[in-house]
Amino acid sequence: MAAHPTRAQSMNGLLQLEGVTMRFGGLVALDHLDIDIAAGSIHALIGPNGAGKSTLLNCISRFCTPQEGDIRFNGLSLMDRQPHQIVGLGIARSFQNIEQAHQMTVLENVLVGLSAKTGNYIPFLPGKARQQAEAQALEKATQILDQLELLAFQHSLAGELDFGRQKMLDFARALASEPKMLLLDEPAAGLRNREIHFLDRFLMRLARDQQITILLIEHVMSLVMSVADQVTVLNFGQKIAEGIPADIKRNEAVIEAYLGKEASHA
Amino acid sequence: MGTWNLIWQGLASGVVTGCVYALVALSLVIVYKSTDVVNFAGGELVMIGAYLGLFILLGLEWPYVALFVMVPIGSFVLGGLFTRFSLDKVSGRAMVKHANLVPLVVATIALSYLLKGIVRVIPFTEEVRRLPPLMTGPPIFLGDVVIQQQDIAIVLVTTVVMVILWLFFGYTFVGKALRATSQNIRAAALLGIPVNLMKLSVWGLSAAIAGIAGILLAPKLLMTPDMGTVVMLAFAAAIIGGFSSLPGCVVGGIALGILQNMVGIFISPQAIAVTPFFVIMLVLLFKPQGFFDTTLAVKKV
Amino acid sequence: MYGSPSTRHLLSLLWLVLAGFLFPSWMPEYFIYIMNMLMMYMILAVGLDIVMGWSGQFAFAHIAFFGIGIYGTALLNMRLGIPFLLGMPLAALLAGAVGYLIALPATQLRTVYLALATFAFSECAQWAFRTWESLTKGPDGLRMTAPQLFGHVVTNDRDAMPIIAIILALVLAATFYLWHSKLGRQFHAIRDSEHVAMASGIDVKRTKVWALAISAFYAGIAGGVYTLFQSYVHPDGLGVSMLVLVLSMVVVGGSGSVAGVGLGVVLLGILPELLRSAPKGFLIWQEFTYGAILMLAIMYMPKGVWGLWQRIQQGRKA
Repeated sequence: MAAHPTRAQSMNGLLQLEGVTMRFGGLVALDHLDIDIAAGSIHALIGPNGAGKSTLLNCISRFCTPQEGDIRFNGLSLMDRQPHQIVGLGIARSFQNIEQAHQMTVLENVLVGLSAKTGNYIPFLPGKARQQAEAQALEKATQILDQLELLAFQHSLAGELDFGRQKMLDFARALASEPKMLLLDEPAAGLRNREIHFLDRFLMRLARDQQITILLIEHVMSLVMSVADQVTVLNFGQKIAEGIPADIKRNEAVIEAYLGKEASHA
Repeated sequence: MGTWNLIWQGLASGVVTGCVYALVALSLVIVYKSTDVVNFAGGELVMIGAYLGLFILLGLEWPYVALFVMVPIGSFVLGGLFTRFSLDKVSGRAMVKHANLVPLVVATIALSYLLKGIVRVIPFTEEVRRLPPLMTGPPIFLGDVVIQQQDIAIVLVTTVVMVILWLFFGYTFVGKALRATSQNIRAAALLGIPVNLMKLSVWGLSAAIAGIAGILLAPKLLMTPDMGTVVMLAFAAAIIGGFSSLPGCVVGGIALGILQNMVGIFISPQAIAVTPFFVIMLVLLFKPQGFFDTTLAVKKV
Repeated sequence: MYGSPSTRHLLSLLWLVLAGFLFPSWMPEYFIYIMNMLMMYMILAVGLDIVMGWSGQFAFAHIAFFGIGIYGTALLNMRLGIPFLLGMPLAALLAGAVGYLIALPATQLRTVYLALATFAFSECAQWAFRTWESLTKGPDGLRMTAPQLFGHVVTNDRDAMPIIAIILALVLAATFYLWHSKLGRQFHAIRDSEHVAMASGIDVKRTKVWALAISAFYAGIAGGVYTLFQSYVHPDGLGVSMLVLVLSMVVVGGSGSVAGVGLGVVLLGILPELLRSAPKGFLIWQEFTYGAILMLAIMYMPKGVWGLWQRIQQGRKA
């Protein structure tokens, strides 16, 4: 493993992975990973297919449990949390293969994303608490849809949108929970150039204006080079390089992992 | 000493009925493994096999051996037709194994009612009949334990069928193709395996096995269109066995057969009817993976 | 699925109650009986739809809870003299509690195992209704004393109708509010994608348990309603056939909406009655008819008659 830190390893990153090892039967998906993600930064996670990137996201969002190691958010260990408690702590995520409530409308999907922040009330009865909670939720949802240019589609069924918009809906749902950190699994996959540029600016805005920390898995190198502050490269579940985009581009181990190919984007 | 006698008898007849449960359980398991569908019409397929046998034997007056050829074939065709016309329509011939599970199961429920209903209205079934046994003759006595000739036939035929299937799935091309399809349908398709034909074959095979169970079981019961309730015993057997493998079905079936008899001896004859349901509930709620396989009944993300 | 139910929907419930008071004065007794029956089925079917259609859980224990509602209400009346307005909610709560307890282990099972486990529970319950003779008179069936309401004894269908109509109206109102609520959205979310649900902060397991418990409560209410216009209950009527009937109502009518379920109730609710009063020869066609209807519906109208109607409407608009 090449020596790589180009800046002092800060021990107070917003998200810290320490010695995380995830095995599926005989397969080692993640191998004693140590990663530190600084608050307010955009941190990209790249590597060949099967390198363990999605598994890492799944561990953070607690869809699977690593056999060894610890994952800390704001100093608090996530290991004894259930998956549905993660968004309450401030971590939201998107999915690689679009997951959505496909039989609910766009607006309803975002309202679902707001579940963590919507007030509670007795569902069977009318009343003030209900009115307030629903009105607030509706307002927030409308705002987010507007930001992501989905307002015109709010009453369409989520499953009927075109692919790019379904992706945007995925973000909208994740953003609805007002997260401090976003985990994005290949957000640019399948998007057209225009949409990738939108995504580029959007991510920058989120990080700079709203101080949302972003950890993104990506194959589209142009996006990675453009937005990332730090890049971590995984291969076979191990970290083989880490640093600023420019350095990673030149890193021999990285180039070798990708067999000399730089992912070009059509 | 009388109790011991009852116990031995219970063990012996438990093994026999267990063989039938094992066969039906197997028919349920192979369909579940390939298509994730639980076939609620499994019992009615057994019933149809029995009535088909009755028709061939008494109606067409063909020899008994013909039953073991015609009933599986007939049942296979029935299973295939159901798949081709009903299931494919419901799932839209989707490639994904997990597509539209609920409507598919509802379709099997509909099938069970349809089959029961058809048999009930056919004039042939108006009187309650009995299928003659395969092996007739005086019962055999092992000490004080009575074993009917038909019981021996059941164990023999079940063993033969199980061995044939084991060889089929393990060593023939078609059998291996079926296993491949059930493990990963997309990969199988990419390998050139005709996936839809495989699905049809699995259902047909499942029906055929159920049909054989029917002609084995029928001589021991009075035949009515309600015979299909045996399916619950098969489900219980399959669940004990982990719903996943041939040996599991055998062990589960025999275990259940013996358990039922023991319940009858030690608790009460009334409790026999509810035993499979208790078993299903208790196993699923406390040990969902069964006692055999680790194929998960519990959800994992 | 947000905000509040529309005024139109709530007003229609008022019409329902009005009809419940007015119809008995001019309708023939038999038709009133049918309407009472349909209203009871409506409560049952909507309850089943909540756990199956809204939350996507294949739970077959519904009729067991129905039975608990019937025996509970009837026995509280007969043994302890508890009037209907107290007895029915108690019985329904009992049904809901049992549903909750069953749901705790059951909801972690995969779909089809859940179906099996809940079906097995239902059979165990039916067996219990048959064997617990000291309570239920077992295979003889239970002759129920007429329920009391505000001192007045309800002895016939005409008296029962307004009460049933009010109960149904309240149940439907609660259902409308549930549909438009956060919990309602959560039910639908877990049906479509458990991952999205979890990532949105929804405790999937707990939500599933609530779905099943609530549907059990509905079934319990339906059981209480049964005692208002029926005088006899027998365990044989609390088994698979009943479940398949209610399931068919939901499937044929249209799962996922109150209107759809209502349509299914009307279409299929009269079926058992038609067959019962038909000449003897037609009785044996019962299973075939159910099977055929269910098969055709699931093949050609997966979203039910209501879904078909919606599609036609949309086609017209295009």
